[in-house]
Amino acid sequence: MDFDFNHQQLEFQEAFRDFLTRNYTLAQACASLKNTQLRSQIWSGLTDLGTFAMLVPAAQGGLGLSPVDLALVLEELGRALAPMSVGDTLLATDLINRFGSADQKQRLLGKIAAGELRISLAALETDSFRPANMATRATAKGARWTLSGRKILVPEADKCGLIAVVCRMATGADLAIALIEPDRPGISLREHATLDLTCPYHELHLNQVGIGAGDLLGPAAGSPAALRLADGASTFASLQMMGIAGKMLESSVQYATDRVQFGKPIGSFQAIKHRCADMAVSTDAGRTAAYYAAWAFAEDAADRGLAASTAKAFCGDAARFVCNEGIQIHGGMGFTWELGLHNYLRRAKVLEYAWGDAAFHRERVMTETLANLKLGA
Amino acid sequence: MDFSYQPEDIEFRMRLRKWLQENLPAGWGTTVFEPKDEEARARFRLDWERQLYKGGWLGINIPRKFGGLQGTPIQRAIYAEEMARARAPEGLNIIGRNLVSSTLIHHGTSVQCERYLPKILSGEEVWCQGFSEPNAGSDLASLRCRAERDGDHFVVNGQKVWTSYAQYSQWCILLARTDPSVPKHRGISLFLVDMRSPGVSLRPLKQLSGESEFNETFFENVRVPVTNLVGEINDGWKIAMTTLGAERGADDALGRQIRFKQELDQLLAAATRISRDGAHAIDDPVLRQKLAKSVIEIEVMRLSCLRSFSKSLKGGPPGAEASMLKLYWSNAAQAMFETALETLGPLAPFTGEDPLSPESGRFQLSFLHSRAFTIYSGSSEIQRTIIGERLLGLPK
Repeated sequence: MDFDFNHQQLEFQEAFRDFLTRNYTLAQACASLKNTQLRSQIWSGLTDLGTFAMLVPAAQGGLGLSPVDLALVLEELGRALAPMSVGDTLLATDLINRFGSADQKQRLLGKIAAGELRISLAALETDSFRPANMATRATAKGARWTLSGRKILVPEADKCGLIAVVCRMATGADLAIALIEPDRPGISLREHATLDLTCPYHELHLNQVGIGAGDLLGPAAGSPAALRLADGASTFASLQMMGIAGKMLESSVQYATDRVQFGKPIGSFQAIKHRCADMAVSTDAGRTAAYYAAWAFAEDAADRGLAASTAKAFCGDAARFVCNEGIQIHGGMGFTWELGLHNYLRRAKVLEYAWGDAAFHRERVMTETLANLKLGA
Repeated sequence: MDFSYQPEDIEFRMRLRKWLQENLPAGWGTTVFEPKDEEARARFRLDWERQLYKGGWLGINIPRKFGGLQGTPIQRAIYAEEMARARAPEGLNIIGRNLVSSTLIHHGTSVQCERYLPKILSGEEVWCQGFSEPNAGSDLASLRCRAERDGDHFVVNGQKVWTSYAQYSQWCILLARTDPSVPKHRGISLFLVDMRSPGVSLRPLKQLSGESEFNETFFENVRVPVTNLVGEINDGWKIAMTTLGAERGADDALGRQIRFKQELDQLLAAATRISRDGAHAIDDPVLRQKLAKSVIEIEVMRLSCLRSFSKSLKGGPPGAEASMLKLYWSNAAQAMFETALETLGPLAPFTGEDPLSPESGRFQLSFLHSRAFTIYSGSSEIQRTIIGERLLGLPK
């Protein structure tokens, strides 16, 4: 047993930290909302760094790495407020590896590795976090289906080559994933106004969009793909939230060291020092939960779902706490637009509610725990 | 990163599981609880430890050459999990097995290790810890208990407090001032003191829970051989940090995690039985959220211990990181026991003596105990200062 990262994984982290610090400053992240060129620049920079080849098997021209190798990279992407479609594309790569047909692998993986195909995930709906209440539905029409419904918070849907839409198959309770081009007839996009000022998101309207078996990732019935997507997305969001928490902690410690009041650095006062300590404990424990979820996801361990929900609930609370405390420590400066801390708070808020909030994941943990203990409801 | 088990680890697990099945006290885990009387309970715990030792299952963290199991980190984790699974009783000599052993392994002579460690394991010698004093709690380095050299002995005079299990202990790991002329951290030494020496006396202290686990301990002209000094003279503060690191570190925390997990499982079972508003407590959505929060926090405690083990494999003895772990679990556990009382709802105030008390009053007692978590082995305020200054580098 080893609950630590190896030398290579730590080197990846350093390379991404270094690259993003130099090439994607906070000012650039903020400007990228309206400046699509900035987003394509960072996309190609990340491609040159090998980001999108990491999960692609060597046979398709990739590096054949595991999601565990990505854990620290995702933390860095979160910390830098990198475009959300980066994490989505990485997760889609994992799903194509596991569930894609030979044809899909052949068509898609090489393009992903080369940075030519961006895939965003569309699962969230307006009314509920619960998969059981998902309304987007595929209706059978001969050997094909038509897909109708509405998805929200799809990052950069207009810049994606494909959107992975999670939907209910008309034949039963099964959820499936359809890979669809955003310009397919019946699809319309609307850009959201969200708290996050560093990444555009879209609402996706699906009006009788025609899909065939070749569009589905995995079989039409009994596919485990949508569940893996949900667990992976929760895990990736947890890792990115801990990247933000780490950044907020560092910034707070630096500010508490530099800022002088009453003739002393404010970090020498216990009221501030102890807040920083609590932030450090939350961040570290959150990382522990997120790293374990990354391992369980990579290995498809028996407790993958439990680990993902544990991490998402815990990291959601931790990111909330650390961001709020961090702004408090920065005092009046923390509340200014100019300092820019609000951007971390804003992205963390989107991640906190993405793929189920803490309450949703706590309920899932409780249901599974009672089932494991064989305690009846 | 790898959480998989090798065949030899699985074999280790199955051997331990089988042994526990065959050796647990009769009826344990279903109906039998520890004796209520404190003396009888201490005896029960020591007997269990001795049985573990006879079966070759004590001292997972102690090297084989001193009679321990010298478990790998994965084996330590398995050990903890299996003890939890069997709901095995707690031991009595926790200070000996966890704190004294790690202090001696890091700072003791081989003669000291050979003399003391085997008897800790066999249960012949129980240990207590003489660190805190009435005027040296959070400011431990200001301690006043003196040890003065007299030929081949030191003569100890002073008072210690919060000495858990001193009444059952044959030995004490004691901090005393050996040089009052230098700054406070530099004049302290660490000694191994025989509690049966003339001049040692005890007065039990009653705790908030109503029990008397701990004591005031008085030392009056107690003669301690110079061979019982641990490490160099006046180097005791640094060595004590190893002891405290072990006290706050992953081995200790994983052991506690087991107890918490056991109580949590019992609590969940109770929540499915206790009726509330025409249904069961577990059906209350607010309570359910709080219980789930504890399930998550206690699981993250387990994972934090495993991560800490992996780190300690690569570094030396646990240091300031241990403060993070201690601060984390003390908060998580206190929240869990508050939730335990909320689960009991209108029955929360009843102790075990009341016929209406659910679960024999165990959660009330655990709740009362839990108030100590954020105070002992360094209060949360001390841990936060250590984290702030030593890990985050904030100014003093």
